[in-house]
Amino acid sequence: MESLADIEQRIDSARRTYAEVKAEIARVIVGHEELIEQVFVALVCGGHCLLEGVPGLGKTLMVRSLGEILSLSFSRIQFTPDLMPADITGTNMLTDDPSGRKLFEFQRGPVFAHVVLADEINRATPKTQSALLEAMQEQGVTVGGKLHRLENPFMVLATQNPIEMEGTYPLPEAQVDRFFFKLILQYPSHAELTRIADLTTAVPAAPLREILDADGILQLRQWVREVPLADVVKDYAVRLILSSHAQAEKNSGESLARRYVMYGSSPRGLQSVILAAKARALFAGRPNVSFDDIRVMLLPSLRHRLILNLEADADGISSDKILNDLTTRVPEVA
Amino acid sequence: MMTDATPLQNQFAELLRWEKQKRLEQIFLCATAVALAAAVLLSPLHGFLPLRGLRWLVPVILTLGLAPGFFYHRRWRAVDATRTFVELDRKLALAERAVTAWELAGRSDRSAAAQLVFQQTEPHLRGLDPRRLFPRRWGWPCYAVAPLLLFWFALLWFDFDQSFSQQSSPVQSLAQQLREFARDFQEKAKTDGLRQSLQVGQELEKLAQKNLADKANEERLKKDLAGVKQKLDAASKSGPQNQSIAGAESEQSLRDLKAELEAARDMLNLPDAAKVPSPQQWLERLASMPQLRNQLDREPQGGKGLGQQELQSLLERLDRQVADALDRRALIDAQQFLEQMMNQGQGKQSNDAAQMAGRGEQDEPGDGVREKNHSNLPGKEPGRNDDSLRSLPAFRADTRTHVEGQLGEGESSSLVFKGKPTPGKSELAPQEVVANYRRQAEQELNSEKVPAALKETVRKYFLSLEESNR
Repeated sequence: MESLADIEQRIDSARRTYAEVKAEIARVIVGHEELIEQVFVALVCGGHCLLEGVPGLGKTLMVRSLGEILSLSFSRIQFTPDLMPADITGTNMLTDDPSGRKLFEFQRGPVFAHVVLADEINRATPKTQSALLEAMQEQGVTVGGKLHRLENPFMVLATQNPIEMEGTYPLPEAQVDRFFFKLILQYPSHAELTRIADLTTAVPAAPLREILDADGILQLRQWVREVPLADVVKDYAVRLILSSHAQAEKNSGESLARRYVMYGSSPRGLQSVILAAKARALFAGRPNVSFDDIRVMLLPSLRHRLILNLEADADGISSDKILNDLTTRVPEVA
Repeated sequence: MMTDATPLQNQFAELLRWEKQKRLEQIFLCATAVALAAAVLLSPLHGFLPLRGLRWLVPVILTLGLAPGFFYHRRWRAVDATRTFVELDRKLALAERAVTAWELAGRSDRSAAAQLVFQQTEPHLRGLDPRRLFPRRWGWPCYAVAPLLLFWFALLWFDFDQSFSQQSSPVQSLAQQLREFARDFQEKAKTDGLRQSLQVGQELEKLAQKNLADKANEERLKKDLAGVKQKLDAASKSGPQNQSIAGAESEQSLRDLKAELEAARDMLNLPDAAKVPSPQQWLERLASMPQLRNQLDREPQGGKGLGQQELQSLLERLDRQVADALDRRALIDAQQFLEQMMNQGQGKQSNDAAQMAGRGEQDEPGDGVREKNHSNLPGKEPGRNDDSLRSLPAFRADTRTHVEGQLGEGESSSLVFKGKPTPGKSELAPQEVVANYRRQAEQELNSEKVPAALKETVRKYFLSLEESNR
């Protein structure tokens, strides 16, 4: 049985690791501190992220840097309309064995890495998309009737461009729901742009150092799940999830959700919020989850899980606005 | 190393105790405020209470009645404890450590993670005074209780609730009327020296008070009134019927006679009376008073030949007879009033009639039953000369007015004395004339013809006349 000192050490270790990761990434990525935190949270929670942002904001660089820091294998798949599922998962190739016999050998696809960057995922056909999403969900691929386990830890960071809609295949809701977080990259500020200019046009910085390995991440995953969660905080998260539905109870009043949401969050959303809140508490050096943790993690966890109606589209109401409205309406204690 | 959760649990228990105490206080205040508000609103219904004293207990009864509902509705629940600890976390910026620790302690969780939560929470709560961190908050009930209590107390103290009750309760109104009549009746009896009437008045007032206090119903009140009326009937039948004053049947003439008798006694008792040698001269003086002259005319030889002692005994006898006659008339008034009260309940008209009966009758031609109509209101009696009534200037009630008496100026009323003046010099001293006027005025003042606000003015006027004569 673990002692109190072990727990204290564990929390301190997690806090320090997170601080180091943030500091190391900050050497190559300017700004996006919140985004980096959320990606790291998703990683230690065993989730996948959908990154949305215009080209050139550093999505790929950030994912690559994360892979370097974490001493994990990294692969990138550029999704195009002609990309086939086998291009992702791999395929059985006919090869000769040393005795000259012909046999099928499984050639692993790019999905067999710890961190997979699925660039512009919405450009591939639904068939290809679903191959990746199935791999994400099952943590393995089946080719030729044989199951091939993926790396552990395994994380997919998919990106999509919000402004280019022509020739794209938007992800179906059921598949979007499999992403732990949906993160939105904001355009950098004046100061951040200046710093980006300095960093990218001068002598390249020293390579990033490895801070955490796969075992460390798996250990963190275990610790995250052991963070105590008070019933009242859990109840708050549940009520937030329920309030995201149009058929919400009267306690949410005339919320935006009642007016603009067609389908609210799935139970996966609740799991995502609670796990993410636990991870955030751990990285903050706290032994318990707070209401703030829930509120902060609500947006990345639920924004892609709300299906809005046409009225919301017409009124320019986003999921973020609805979720922010919910956090102000739903009381912490019922 | 294990962290002992006991001190933490003690702190939690103390905090919860304090919050529960505050809750109880708030519930009690709330129930009291609502009960007081309800008591104020229900005060017009106090007339329906079986006992008058119960009205003082209405808020207590309401509080006791409402309190269980309030205590149930706002009872302490588990969520209240949760709220308390969430508030504690917010105040101490503990990021929900306290509420988590409370829940973990409640579950008897002894895991290392729980221990760490206890350890991080305990130092923040050590030495914490819940009373300072969560002081009492006075809501609207607290601020409302005192004014409501004062308002309710004032309502009852000044009997505002009773005025409502009387409007709504005809029985109380009847008893109230009886009490007012009895008081007026007693005052009149005291003024006129009517012994029997005074006793009846006192008895009637007692009866009215008793009925008001007991909230007796109409039947009982009427039954009591019937008893009193029977007594009055018996008294009037057994009374000295043969003592009626001949030639002075009306009440006004009796009163005039009484005033003249008083004036005559004063004359006999004047310091210079000894200077008057002849009883004949006394007789002449007394004959100047019309009612007295009538009585003297009925004596053998018109009272001539009576000595001073005999004259005085005659005056005393007449005085007794007048008093008895007035007493009997007052009792008849009372009988009539009681009869009307017993027949009352048919509306306001009969109510007004009863009040008129209480005022007494003026210039009644006989002792028979008087017909009630507007023509025999005071001052409107048939045959009475309205011109003889001096119209008084319009004075506002409660305004202090002083009129200086000035001889020979302004209007004045006169009383004709048919004395035979000695040529060249009046045999009546000015003091006697003024005394006569004053007595007559006092008679008027004692009757209800003179408005209350003007009584003092009239009295001062005659006092000033006396002073100027000296």
